[in-house]
Amino acid sequence: MKDPVALGPIELSASEAGAPDAGALFQRLGAHNGLRATGRAVVAVLLAFAVTAIPILISGKSPIAAYWALLHGAFGSFDHVAFALNKSTPYILTAVGVALCFRAQIINIGGEGQIAVGGLAASWVALNCGDLPSLLAIVLALAAGAVAGALWAGIAAVIRLTRGVHEVLSTLLLNFVGVLLVSEALNGAMGEAGAGFPQSPMFDEAVRLPTLFSGYDLHVGLIIALVVTGCAQFLLWRTRFGFQLRLLGGSRAAAAYAGVSFAGGVIGVMLLGGGLAGLAGGIEVLGVHYRLIEGFSLGFGFTGVAVALLAAANPLAVVPAGLFFGFLQAGALAMQREVGVPSSLVYVIQGFSIVFVLCAIGLDRRWQRV
Amino acid sequence: MDYAFLVALLAASVRIAAPLILGALGGLISERAGVFAVGIEGMMLAGAFGAAIGAFVSGSPAVGLLLAVVAGSLIASIVAIAVTIFRADQMVTGLAVNILAFGLTSFLLRGLFGGRAPSIRLHIFGAIDIPFLSSLPFVGPILFRQSALTYAAVAIALLLHLALYRTRAGLTLRATGENPEAVFAAGNNPIRIRQLAVIAGGAIAGLGGAVLSLQDVGTFTDGMTNGRGFLALAAVIVGRWTPLGALAACLVFGAASALEVRLQGFNLPVSSYAIQMAPYLLALAVLAGLGRGTRMPQAIGQAYRVG
Repeated sequence: MKDPVALGPIELSASEAGAPDAGALFQRLGAHNGLRATGRAVVAVLLAFAVTAIPILISGKSPIAAYWALLHGAFGSFDHVAFALNKSTPYILTAVGVALCFRAQIINIGGEGQIAVGGLAASWVALNCGDLPSLLAIVLALAAGAVAGALWAGIAAVIRLTRGVHEVLSTLLLNFVGVLLVSEALNGAMGEAGAGFPQSPMFDEAVRLPTLFSGYDLHVGLIIALVVTGCAQFLLWRTRFGFQLRLLGGSRAAAAYAGVSFAGGVIGVMLLGGGLAGLAGGIEVLGVHYRLIEGFSLGFGFTGVAVALLAAANPLAVVPAGLFFGFLQAGALAMQREVGVPSSLVYVIQGFSIVFVLCAIGLDRRWQRV
Repeated sequence: MDYAFLVALLAASVRIAAPLILGALGGLISERAGVFAVGIEGMMLAGAFGAAIGAFVSGSPAVGLLLAVVAGSLIASIVAIAVTIFRADQMVTGLAVNILAFGLTSFLLRGLFGGRAPSIRLHIFGAIDIPFLSSLPFVGPILFRQSALTYAAVAIALLLHLALYRTRAGLTLRATGENPEAVFAAGNNPIRIRQLAVIAGGAIAGLGGAVLSLQDVGTFTDGMTNGRGFLALAAVIVGRWTPLGALAACLVFGAASALEVRLQGFNLPVSSYAIQMAPYLLALAVLAGLGRGTRMPQAIGQAYRVG
C-alpha cells in the first residue's frame, strides 16, 4: 500500500476545516521508520535529562545523586515496580487515544478533563450499583467512565465541526470545567460527610479492580491497557477506519477526494480518544484510590500527550513510552523522600522531552525534504 | 442590582482583567507574527514566579517586575527557537512549555530554598487614585482607582494598537503573520521577526503573571495562573487579533470572574465550584458564538522556509 502522504502536496484553504491544520505534525511517521522514531525519542529523553541537570544544580543538589535516587526509587523493589506499573496504566490508555487523534492531525489535549469526568462517572456507578455481581459492576463502572470521557471529548469535536473552534482551545478550556465538575460532585452529593477532604466514601470491595498477585497493589488495569493498545494498533493499521484516520492526517484534500468524511473522522477519533481517557479515569478510581478524590487526574492528560509524542503516535510504542513516564513518576516520589529533590522535576523532564522530540521531528522533516 | 454593587462589580472586572489583558497582548504579538501562542499560560506562570521570587528575595517590587519579564521571555525563547529554527509544531510546543513552566516554577520554589517552599508574603500594589478623574461619577471608581499594573496593562494595549497600525514595524509584524514571503522579498527576515515577536510576547505575558503575584495575591503557589493563559488566548481570538478587541474580550471575561466572586456571597442553589466554571464556559460559548466569522492571520502555524 502506498503511503497516503506520498499523494503529493495539495493546497487547502485555511477555512476548509474552519481552522488551519496542525502543521503536518506526523506526516513522516509511519510503521516503516520505527527505528528512526525510537532513536529520536531516546535522544530527546537523554537531552531532557541532561538539561534538567541545570535546575538541579541551581537548587544545590547533585544531579547524579538525584537521578540515582530516581532510578532506585523506580526499580528498587517489587512494591516500587507495582506502583510504577499502576502509574503507567492511565498514561498508556490516554496516550493511545491521543496517538490516534494525532494520526488524524487532531490535537486532543483534553485528557485531563476526560479522565476527570470518566472517573466521576465510574465512581457514581460504583457507589450506586447496589448488589450487582462484582464483575458486572466493575464492567458497568468502567463502561460509564469510557462513555463519559467520550462524550466530554465529543463536545470539543462538535464545537470544532459546527463552529470552527480549534480543538486545542476547546479541550483546554473543558479540562478546567471537567475538574471543577469533580470538585462540585465531591463537595455535594458524592462527598463523604465529615472527611475533611473532598473525597467520596470508599467503594465496596466488590467494585474494586482485582489485583494480579495477592499481596501486591498491581491491579488488572495494566492488562486492560495492553489489550486496548493491541486493539488500537490493529485498528490503525488493519481497518478501514484506521486507514481513513491516516488519510485525513496525511492530506485532508486527498481524504475528501477519496470520499472520507472529515466530520466522521474527527467525531470518531475524538470519541475514541475521550473514551480511552475516561476508561483510564475509571481504572484509576477503581484500581488505585477505591474512591473519587479531588485532583486525582492532575497532570495525567498532559503526560498522555508527552507519551504519545515520544511514541511517535504508534500505539505499540505507547507501551514503553508510558512505562517510562510511569517509572519516572514513581521514582520521582522516592527521590523526593530520599534526597530531598522535589518530585515536580518530572514535569521539567517531561516538558523538555516534548520540546526536543518536536524539534527532532521538525529537523527530520527538513533533512528528508532536502 | 443597586448602584454601589454595579460599580464595585465593574471595578473588580477591570482589576481581574488586568493579567488577562497582558497575557492576551503577549499572545497577540506572537500570533500576529504567525506563531500560535498556546504557551502563554506557561509564560504567565513563569512571570508570576519570577515576580514573586524577585520581590521576596530582594524586597523590591521593581526587581520582581524585572525578573517577571526575564522569566516570561526565557520560556518564550524556547518556543521561538523550537518553532523557527527547528520548525517544531507550534501548538504542541506551546503545550510543552506550559508543562515545563509548571515543573520549573514548582521545582525551583522548593529547590531554591533548601527543598521546602518558603511562605512568601508580598506587599501588594495598592490602588492609585488618578487626580480629578477618580472623582468622576461612575467611571471614576471603576477606571481610575486601580493599581499601577492595571493602568500599565491598558496603556500597553493602547500603545500596541498604535504600534501595530501606525508604524512601519507594526506593518511588518502583521505582514509576517499574513505573508512571510512578501516580508522576505521586502528585505526583512521573517524568522528573526517571529523570534522577536514571540519573545516580546513572552515578556508582556510575564508581566501579566506579575500582576497575579504582586498585585492580586501577594504570593506564589503552584500553577497559580490556573488557565488564565488559555482565557487570554480565547480573548485574542474573540477580539479578532486586535489589541482593543482583545482588551474588550478580557474585560468581559473579567466581569464573569468578578460576578463569580460576588455571587459566592449569595445563597445560590449552585455551589461555588459550578460558579467557578463560568469564565471557561463563557469563553467557550463566545468562541463558539463567533464561529467561522473570525479570520486568523493567514500564515499562522506554518513554519517559514527561506528560499
